[in-house]
Amino acid sequence: MTLLQTEQLTKQFGGLTAVDEVNMEVEQGEGVSLIGPNGAGKSTFINLVTRRLEPSHGDISFKGESIVGMDPHQVVQEGMSKSFQTASIFPELSVKENATIAALAAEHGSFRFNFFRHRNSYPAVDELADDVLRSVGLYGEREAQADSLDYGNKRRLELGIALAAEPDMLLMDEPTAGMSPDETQSTVDLIKRVKEELDLTFLLVEHDMEIVFDISDRIVVLNRGSVIAAGTPEEVQNDPAVQEAYLGGVEE
Amino acid sequence: MSDEPRDATPTAAAEADPDVSDELGDRLSRFREREISTVLITVVGVLVFPFIFNNFLDGYTQLATLMLIWGIFAIGFDILLGYTGLLSFGHAVFWGGAAYAAGIFSASVSSQPLLVLLAGTAFAVLLAWVVGFLSLRRGGIYFAILTLTFGQMAFYLAASPLAFLTNGENGFTSVTIGPLLGVIDLHGGVPFPLSIAVDNMLYVFVAAVTVLSVAMANRILHSPYGTVFRAIRENERRAEFVGLHVWRYKLMAFVISAAFAGIAGSLFAIEGNYVPLESLYWTESGAIVIMTVLGGVGSLFGPLFGAGLYLYIENIVSGFETLGPFWHLILGIVFVVAVVVFPDGIWGGVEYLRDKVTGGDES
Repeated sequence: MTLLQTEQLTKQFGGLTAVDEVNMEVEQGEGVSLIGPNGAGKSTFINLVTRRLEPSHGDISFKGESIVGMDPHQVVQEGMSKSFQTASIFPELSVKENATIAALAAEHGSFRFNFFRHRNSYPAVDELADDVLRSVGLYGEREAQADSLDYGNKRRLELGIALAAEPDMLLMDEPTAGMSPDETQSTVDLIKRVKEELDLTFLLVEHDMEIVFDISDRIVVLNRGSVIAAGTPEEVQNDPAVQEAYLGGVEE
Repeated sequence: MSDEPRDATPTAAAEADPDVSDELGDRLSRFREREISTVLITVVGVLVFPFIFNNFLDGYTQLATLMLIWGIFAIGFDILLGYTGLLSFGHAVFWGGAAYAAGIFSASVSSQPLLVLLAGTAFAVLLAWVVGFLSLRRGGIYFAILTLTFGQMAFYLAASPLAFLTNGENGFTSVTIGPLLGVIDLHGGVPFPLSIAVDNMLYVFVAAVTVLSVAMANRILHSPYGTVFRAIRENERRAEFVGLHVWRYKLMAFVISAAFAGIAGSLFAIEGNYVPLESLYWTESGAIVIMTVLGGVGSLFGPLFGAGLYLYIENIVSGFETLGPFWHLILGIVFVVAVVVFPDGIWGGVEYLRDKVTGGDES
């Protein structure tokens, strides 16, 4: 089953075409990476998919339904959650509360009018938040203030928040940016494990080629807004167009 | 105890009751967690307060009543400012609006205090839905300016185009308040057991509404709403990207805070038997911001203390022979000192001291 599909997706900023008629698909259960040199249009593509930017033309559909015109929170409710490039957490709340917020949205929808019972009387929410904290390895620190975690753990929490939204598909924007080699390795292991445990579909944007080739089932290469190659890691690695884009004439 | 099965040995009983071996601090914090504790603390507080205030602080019951009324207003305002992180500069529109609605209702529909209270509050809630709908379109400073604009619009509307309803600059003078539930005269004395603590039925009525308001605010802040509000304050974009309809929750926070302002505004009309035009003026919107920040944003009881201190300086200190004329200056200095020394307000300072005391004897 195709989860995410873009058709002729285009975004122009004035005279600059950042994303140029991109057709791409992500199948259920697949781990897809989006790579490309700086300025290739990766971030713009992600922002189009998460509804932070309006496409100039073209269509994006999720689970067979067009999401153009939806608000970001509606897209998340449809099952597409996002992990940010920086540790986007709720700093002054506890680690547990951070996860609880996403779990509330997952269990009770984007808004509930009648939400006045004591917070302890929503056991499903509580359980989901605990489960997620266990799977990202932060259960022991659930009482700590999120701001007091080190950077690597903040990114783990960030990922946990994205997972607590119970996504069918997870978008990850450079999940290891700014991490030490150790933290990077443990995050990669975490992503692999979560993918297996939850049969998670993901779309990853990442600069670190080692990670990309390690965890992706399929790789899509963007250059100057267009898809120049797509396929398994081996196919992409040996593609002359990819080598050209990365090794020659990258000055933009 | 005699009904318990015989195998409930002392060891088992001790295990089932973890309180036994607890530190004082732990026990205190568990007591504070319970909803009923909050209510009990408030009940004791409002009963003891006028006694201390009248006997030791040069106070009088009418001012104590006003302090509670403004305290309710501040508790609601803190749900918006302290918990959701939205600064409204136009909350006088709900305070004064509710006071006018309550006053007009009492003069032309029913003088039943409970119905008057309900009418004023309902008006504030409806008004908040409209004002919130329009001003929450923009964030940050634009939101503050928009709310200020709505507040000033309401002031000028009440001053002249609607003067046939509001009595314009003279204020609404025809407030008529009947006996509570048809029997209890609000301006009469208090029956024996209560009379030890308070001397005035109106205070008892306002105190009861205060306790209810604290209980409601406590419940809201401990419900998922409280969690979501704080999430919006901390990181609005993240809240949106976990799938929450942030805008609707902000509107709810706005309406809830206006409901408290409405309760307080209606009580203000009931208490004074009069609604001054100034109740809609922007200085009232400013006063509630100062009270809330002074007491401590993001705490349940802080705003009550902030309101009390503000009114104390405005009414008592202003009467002191030498310092009196400088009460505005004193208020300013107290505000600056409080904000610098206790960034979390007076209540934040109290909590800090309490943690030092109860946490000090651990090690």
